[in-house]
Amino acid sequence: MMNEDEVINEHGKRERRTVRLVVALMLFVAVIYAATFIKLPLWLPALK
Amino acid sequence: MTEAIAAIAHDQHEHPPAGIMRWLTTTNHKDLGILYMSFGGIMFFIGGAFIMAVRAELLFPGLQWLSPGMYNQLFTLHALIMVFGAIMPFATGLNNYLIPLMIGAPDMALPRVNNWGFWILPFAAILLLIPFFLQFSGIGSGASGLGWVMHNTSLDLQSGIGIDFAIFTIHLLGISSLTGAINVVVTVLNMRAPGMTLMKMPLFVWAWLITAFMLILVIPVFSAAATMLLTDRHFGTHFFDAANGGDPILLQHLIWFFGHPEVYIVLLPAWGLIPHILATFSRKPVFGYRAQVYALWTICFLSFIVWSHHMLTSGLPLAAEVYFMYSTMAISVPTAVLVFCWLGAIWRGAMTFETPMLFALGFVAHFGMGALTGMILPDVAANAQYHNSYVIVSHFHYTFFGGGIFGMMAALYYWLPKFTGRMFDEKLGRLHFWLTVIFFNMTFIPQWFAGLDGMPRHIADFALRFSAMNLISSVGAFLLGLSQLLLVYTVVKCVRGGTKATGQVWEGAQGLEFTLPSPPPYHTFETPPAVK
Repeated sequence: MMNEDEVINEHGKRERRTVRLVVALMLFVAVIYAATFIKLPLWLPALK
Repeated sequence: MTEAIAAIAHDQHEHPPAGIMRWLTTTNHKDLGILYMSFGGIMFFIGGAFIMAVRAELLFPGLQWLSPGMYNQLFTLHALIMVFGAIMPFATGLNNYLIPLMIGAPDMALPRVNNWGFWILPFAAILLLIPFFLQFSGIGSGASGLGWVMHNTSLDLQSGIGIDFAIFTIHLLGISSLTGAINVVVTVLNMRAPGMTLMKMPLFVWAWLITAFMLILVIPVFSAAATMLLTDRHFGTHFFDAANGGDPILLQHLIWFFGHPEVYIVLLPAWGLIPHILATFSRKPVFGYRAQVYALWTICFLSFIVWSHHMLTSGLPLAAEVYFMYSTMAISVPTAVLVFCWLGAIWRGAMTFETPMLFALGFVAHFGMGALTGMILPDVAANAQYHNSYVIVSHFHYTFFGGGIFGMMAALYYWLPKFTGRMFDEKLGRLHFWLTVIFFNMTFIPQWFAGLDGMPRHIADFALRFSAMNLISSVGAFLLGLSQLLLVYTVVKCVRGGTKATGQVWEGAQGLEFTLPSPPPYHTFETPPAVK
């Protein structure tokens, strides 16, 4: 059984993990969007 | 003082606002789950109404009452609405309601984002439908008629606002899907109850985690392709304009890089929930849990490297054609693992055939037919014959309806007593199942044979020799549509009353959600449950 301090600490850790994960996933989305726009037209002609 | 504020906050927390404000402002995962599922249900009937008009046109040869342009708009809206407006939101509703309950979390990780993600959807749907209705007032040339993947190579055939509205709709839906997907990933990776390790998670949670990763990878590509299409149309770029050095085939590559994983995005949630239902009504544990998790990941990986099997007649080099043929056929291996695990689940089980089990078995049978017909299509030589024919229409309805929608209906009947606290009318449920099976096959088997005989898709008229098949298919489609009203009646009847459901609901049901009363309290697992 965790005491009150440990519960608050655990809650804070979970919040920080959530923020980090969300930021990482949003950056990933932005990179793929940009890469499609900028790079894919150059890569895909190899399939012709 | 602090305690008094905390008590007031807790009181408001426990008692949501009454009436419409509850539903507009809710951040509760169960409320949002219900909203998503209701939205998916409404759009299912709107999308169905559009295709009834199409099938009415195809009752007899010759043009009956639609112009070819109107016909294109109707089947395009049907497809866009069914995929993005009906099946995906319904599956998202299930994940919203069930994932926190299944992993012992109090809510989704990002509840406000969850609310935002949902309320984008009705506006996206309105945006998609506006140009269709405006044309009747003489404004614009109607909705997009390019098909759901928007890569009709004759882009110049349709100008006007319809395609632009569809492009904006895609961007809005993309934002909604991405917020939902990020929410699922963060919730599953970060909010599990102590002891709920990844390999103890229910398969439905695994399937949604994988689906969320797929969405995060492909939605930006689809959105970028739509943005490029928009800038080509209005801002003087030439990404896809062959006359100015662009490449129309590039649009097909980009959209199918999204479009093929999208098929699995629609199917994976159903693949995740079917094992639970089969196990419950066979009174056995889930069969081949690890094998199914690995098969789902393998399918996820393979789905990203097979997209050009949709483009085998677009003039790819032979080596690329052969590669896409074999890589596509390779998907049958992990898919077969899933199917054998489903069969293993019922093998020598003490089976009973309640409505959810019937739909789950219907799913296995019909999705199996979709998968087997899908094995024929990537064959390069055969594809040249079948491409753009009704064979394709029949095949993908066996996967999307036979897989996706049968799966969603199995899930709806399985968890409906949990959602409402009432048992539904079993007789009505069974009648709904059998009518759906009969009329679904009556609609799509004739389309398969019309396609084999050479009937092309995307046309408002057809040669006389396809008359009988189209007549049977149209009558089947009308009856299939009508029989779905029985589902509405059954659900409404269940919500309004019925035998009280226990927390366990079904005799063989397993999982954390069945340890809660039916319906579950507004807030659940504020103290994480102990998972062994």
